[in-house]
Amino acid sequence: MLNSDAILIMGSNMAENHPVAFQWVMEAKEKGSTVIHVDPRFNRTSAVANMWVPLRAGSDIIFLGALIRHVLENELFFREYVLHYTNAPVIIQNDFGDTEDLEGVFSGWNSEKKSYDPASWMYEGAAQDGKKSSAPKASESEGGHTQHGAAAMPDLSKYKTDPTLQHPRCVFQLLKRHFARYTSEMVERYCGVSEESFLRVADVYCKASGPEKTGGICYAVGWTQHSSGVQIIRCAAILQLLLGNMGRPGGGIMALRGHASIQGSTDIPTLYDSLPGYLSMPKFGEESKTFQNYLAKYKPRTGWWNNYDKYIVSLLKAYYGDAAQPENDFGFHWLPRLTGDHSHQGYWLDMMDGKMDGLFVMGENPAVAGPNSGMERRALAKLKWLVVRDMVDIETSSFWRSAPEVQSGEVRPEDIQTEVFLMPAAGHAEKDGTFTNTQRLLQWHQKAVDAPGDSRSENWFMFHLGNLLREKAKKDPQPKNAGLLALTWNYSTEGPHQEPSAEEILKEVNGYTVADRQLVPGFTALKADGSTACGAWIYAGVFPKAGENRANQRASKDFYGHGWGFAWPSDRRIIYNRASARPDGKPWSERKKLVWWDEAAKKWTGNDVPDFVATKPPDYVPGENAEGDNALAGDKPFILHADGLAWIWVPTGLADGPLPAHYEPFESPVSNPIYPNQQVNPVAQSKTRAGNQYASSPDARFPYVLTTYRLTEHHTAGGMSRTLSHLAELQPEMFCEISVEMAHELTITPGEWVTVVTKRGAIEAHALVTPRVQTLEIEGKLIYQVGLPFHWGYTGLVKGDVGNDLIAISEEPNVRIMESKGLLCNVLRGRRADNVLGVKELLEAQKVAP
Amino acid sequence: MTISAFLTDATVCIGCKACEVACKEWNEVPADGFVWSGLSYDNTQSLGASTWRHVMFLEQPQTAGPQIADTKDPFRWVFLSDVCKHCANAGCLEACPTGSIVRTDIGSVLVQKDVCNGCGYCIVSCPFGVIDRRPVDGRAFKCTFCYDRQKAGLIPACAKACPTQSIQFGNLEELQERGNNRVHELRERGYEDARLYNPLETSVGGVHAMFVILGEPENYNLPPAPEVPTIYLKSAWTSALLSAAIAFVIACVAFAH
Amino acid sequence: MTSSANPGARKASEERLDEIRKAAADAALPLRNAPVSHPQIRGKESYYGLPVLKAPVWTWEVALYFFIGGVSGMSAALAFAAQLFGGEAALIRAALFVALTGAVLCPILLIADLGRPSRFLNMLRVFKVQSPMSMGAWILVAFSGCVFVALVAFELTQRGYAIPLVIGIRWAAEASGALTGLFLAAYTGVLIGATANPVWSHNRKAIPPHFLASAVGGSGAVLELIGFLTPATQLLGFVAAVAETVLGIYFELSRLPVNSPLHRGKSGWAFRIAGTLAGPIALLVRLLSDSASGRRAAAICFLVGALLSRYAWIWAGVASAKDPEALFQIQRKA
Repeated sequence: MLNSDAILIMGSNMAENHPVAFQWVMEAKEKGSTVIHVDPRFNRTSAVANMWVPLRAGSDIIFLGALIRHVLENELFFREYVLHYTNAPVIIQNDFGDTEDLEGVFSGWNSEKKSYDPASWMYEGAAQDGKKSSAPKASESEGGHTQHGAAAMPDLSKYKTDPTLQHPRCVFQLLKRHFARYTSEMVERYCGVSEESFLRVADVYCKASGPEKTGGICYAVGWTQHSSGVQIIRCAAILQLLLGNMGRPGGGIMALRGHASIQGSTDIPTLYDSLPGYLSMPKFGEESKTFQNYLAKYKPRTGWWNNYDKYIVSLLKAYYGDAAQPENDFGFHWLPRLTGDHSHQGYWLDMMDGKMDGLFVMGENPAVAGPNSGMERRALAKLKWLVVRDMVDIETSSFWRSAPEVQSGEVRPEDIQTEVFLMPAAGHAEKDGTFTNTQRLLQWHQKAVDAPGDSRSENWFMFHLGNLLREKAKKDPQPKNAGLLALTWNYSTEGPHQEPSAEEILKEVNGYTVADRQLVPGFTALKADGSTACGAWIYAGVFPKAGENRANQRASKDFYGHGWGFAWPSDRRIIYNRASARPDGKPWSERKKLVWWDEAAKKWTGNDVPDFVATKPPDYVPGENAEGDNALAGDKPFILHADGLAWIWVPTGLADGPLPAHYEPFESPVSNPIYPNQQVNPVAQSKTRAGNQYASSPDARFPYVLTTYRLTEHHTAGGMSRTLSHLAELQPEMFCEISVEMAHELTITPGEWVTVVTKRGAIEAHALVTPRVQTLEIEGKLIYQVGLPFHWGYTGLVKGDVGNDLIAISEEPNVRIMESKGLLCNVLRGRRADNVLGVKELLEAQKVAP
Repeated sequence: MTISAFLTDATVCIGCKACEVACKEWNEVPADGFVWSGLSYDNTQSLGASTWRHVMFLEQPQTAGPQIADTKDPFRWVFLSDVCKHCANAGCLEACPTGSIVRTDIGSVLVQKDVCNGCGYCIVSCPFGVIDRRPVDGRAFKCTFCYDRQKAGLIPACAKACPTQSIQFGNLEELQERGNNRVHELRERGYEDARLYNPLETSVGGVHAMFVILGEPENYNLPPAPEVPTIYLKSAWTSALLSAAIAFVIACVAFAH
Repeated sequence: MTSSANPGARKASEERLDEIRKAAADAALPLRNAPVSHPQIRGKESYYGLPVLKAPVWTWEVALYFFIGGVSGMSAALAFAAQLFGGEAALIRAALFVALTGAVLCPILLIADLGRPSRFLNMLRVFKVQSPMSMGAWILVAFSGCVFVALVAFELTQRGYAIPLVIGIRWAAEASGALTGLFLAAYTGVLIGATANPVWSHNRKAIPPHFLASAVGGSGAVLELIGFLTPATQLLGFVAAVAETVLGIYFELSRLPVNSPLHRGKSGWAFRIAGTLAGPIALLVRLLSDSASGRRAAAICFLVGALLSRYAWIWAGVASAKDPEALFQIQRKA
């Protein structure tokens, strides 16, 4: 970020939540970079930015779409980059229909199934089933956390382009047409941002791009926690690609993750639909009937993912060791199959319906942090057993005796049959392990002290639990236990508590050759014949040989930090960095050079590890039937895509469209101004049911826009901060932030208690009245916004009402995240207990036209 | 003697309060009360016996400098971490009757907590309102300048924790120069109301913890012209001795008659 | 709240708010529509009105100590003056006893006020001229010693040991007792005057005369209550009451913002009542009646006023420390 000439922070409060990383933004600013912060509230990031633009929560795609339009209309895009490195020149099939023509939906919409058939979004000329296989053609675009939510893998190596970017069906023209009505005037009317401000942002940011300059974008849950979250991020991707900022120093998109190692928890996933290294969990059905079917779906003919089989086989070897052989498809059939929505929201609703017996909750506090947390707490009461692993007695483990609904008498502990086990957990200084941060950087942390009493690490817990289960499985030789028994589970242990060796686990993750147990130097050494094992191909290389734990290295030797930790993949600090050089291999400019082709040495070199086959020359042309990475030319930096191009247009893999389209949040004060006939994202799920109801858009009962956020002083659901006096005293009580005008109109005295109500429930908070929350003029009327932090709960040194009680359970189409930014609420003066009647009226009242 | 100093720069502070917490963690300072003040994000409110770094959150209309918020009534939010000033002439030190408060070999002002008997006189002698008595414990406490860390070759905990180097630590002369340069640079960049707070021309004689601020010192509860109370001794004692003499004369007159 | 206050309003919509407003206007009920003032810092304002300085942490023992120290210290001076000018032995003894009582009570009070009473001896680790409290600790020690010796020597001379040595010691002890006693009565004014506290430091030249006037009148009043209704004590009473009156008028007329604790709030009321009792009322009673009961009444008025006055000064210091504007205004003028 120190290299950025402009930094756009949107959907993020970076200084607040990533203060240590933010030092680089401050340094960039001191060097002359312009920091732009677009956010409904003026918070700690805005205070130190160069520009703050207040924006209506939920209107991000209008704003970003207008930026895209600005770039296109004013021809500010980085032409050569766009032409060679993106799919802008690619021509799309002629049966594609845009939202412009189909009243807010794309072609392929099936209103019964509520999903899209993506066939019409495909490149013209790309074969639908390029490989001869029995792979089924699913007709649903499924999305998901991995690369491949698509139907049978189409062959994207075959497509037609128009290098003049004029063809009416080339991506570039389709893009232009799609965003034509996302004007600065729309931004003023529906985002609450004056045209002048918008144009200033556009001007500054666009000027900070091109061969000599780069701009970076940072985002966080201000973007992701929306019913169109993925598409908001897609807007940023399109913008950065048009401006030529991807794969270049100071460019890129920084996805600021929610806490210390959440990047690691998607890499070695705790996500239900992925396997380590973003491989796909098999779905029940045709695709997983045979291993060949599975590979046909997920292993494309071209691009780096052609190595998919090497990675999945090596993973299976790591899981099952000698029990994984070619004859039994390496144990592929022991992997679980997805049968539906097993996301947090998915199974929690199943829990609510009494379909779950038990749950392990580890390092999470859904009673406070879950959406519609009141409903989540009620769902917990339907379990037979609940195991909570944490360092303190959090709200999730004490829901049955101290939740607000228990305190009010609405729910009685005697009626709750759930048996709750609270297992004490060790903190990060009490165990070995790694963190993987937003920069994909693995850093090892060492155990400094013994955990007190019975507190144990996750490794210890899972390892010994696994041993106990395997013991039981040995006595119960059913087919379903075969996989459990086949697992390699023989880590060495040390110490009085028999702590499994974290280093051994990291080595297993790195990978090794099976015959001699030699560690592999990187993922290029992995094979599909069962001779290698690897816990996560993207991490291969972190422990390349005995004694060399690169995650534990702390000797930074250059500007990019090589020698300090290990950034996957292969310690490439900026991925897709081939794009920092021209098609001919020379840097775009001296100022922004990163990697380049060394003609003498015949390899790629530079200031970073090249994210490219080192010996592939820039002028390489693939042969007719080349496969894998060999099918990609020497000027195609985006090697994980089957076409080697960056995708301005997403032909396959997203559930809700090849391009972002603006839809309003589930609860909005306005109708969708861009597509009046399609209010919300058609593929997003509202999960409407008793206890999870929505206001209408707009709704006179709930006239204010609600958004949630974090504070620096607290950490997520507060289990680690509201229990420590030094943090608890910094922000002891729940509060909301409202504008001066709103306080005046509702006669709210600064500091007094108010009750914030949504269709899901009511909570109380102090009213912090401040001009940092602006009243916005939307479509001629004044919109008040209410901001709420979400850190408080009913246990700990400092307590308060649970903000997430107000949020609904909803699912974004691709990753199933809930919408917590951009809801509707009402605000009543006084405490919750004093407003019981008023709240009841609001929740039961019929919808009234505003 | 090299004099240790702080230069705390409001223009790069992001208000994260890592300094408050790091200080408390290192020095084992107890909690100072769970009170929601309603004053912006500042629930700490002031320095005291159990708060040695205090981050201030100034919400104010903006009357000078580059505008961030493109609103009708421009405003700004400025953060600053306050700390004991470690005055060149320290009121608390002069006032202390047990000799508990001393000047160290790094130029800091240190309360020796094994000597302090909690008489409370330092509290009314500090022109910055820094030092205070801790309830139950009974002794007076304030920032130690992490004397133990410095003697071990480390920098103070707050400076170590500060992610943006708003809290700079070094030797006094060097930081004075850096502070002046920073103010000069800020003014050139359009921050017309940037200034360095270091009351050299008062009887305090300058402080070892200086601040780069935007706006008036009063806005940060920094006294515009602090004085070390020893300057009041002469006039007070003169008045006292004179009054005593007169009182004795009256007594003599009373008994002589 | 609003929903239950207005039984007719059951519609949960914006209209309900309007209805309530209209009903309130019709019923001429005042609505809380005062302009909202959220915390903001303008111009040269302080940081949200929060105090800059710390308030004194001294509790009731210290004000009482000021009072008793003044009375007993001055009492030792009276004893010496009486000795010098041939006052009756009984009075001298009484005065010395009052001084000794103070010498015993004062340390107890001070030790009780300490945060760590067990460490009281640390007061004698150093002797710092620039610290009034350090000086005060030593003065108190010296005073106690001198008065004790003086009283012993005095008693000895009264019981037939009036040899030159004892008499010499008695004179020396009485003289130094008087000297240290006067310091004791006077230094407490310097103690609070030479601080950062605005109302104290601003009045540092007026406080010592105030404290000493209380000491003179107080020690005289105690002797009167013991039974010494002599012309000497009458004169002391008059002069002290006049001094208190003059000082009271002086403080009342000074309307600088820094002095507002002397006119407003708890400290202001205490200050005025104290000043009135010890000043005009004591004076009036003494003028109107020179009977025994009248003089005793005047003595009591004075003592009560003087005691209350010490508390008023402490409370004024507390109030002053909490007022950032007062501090800034003094410094901006400087």
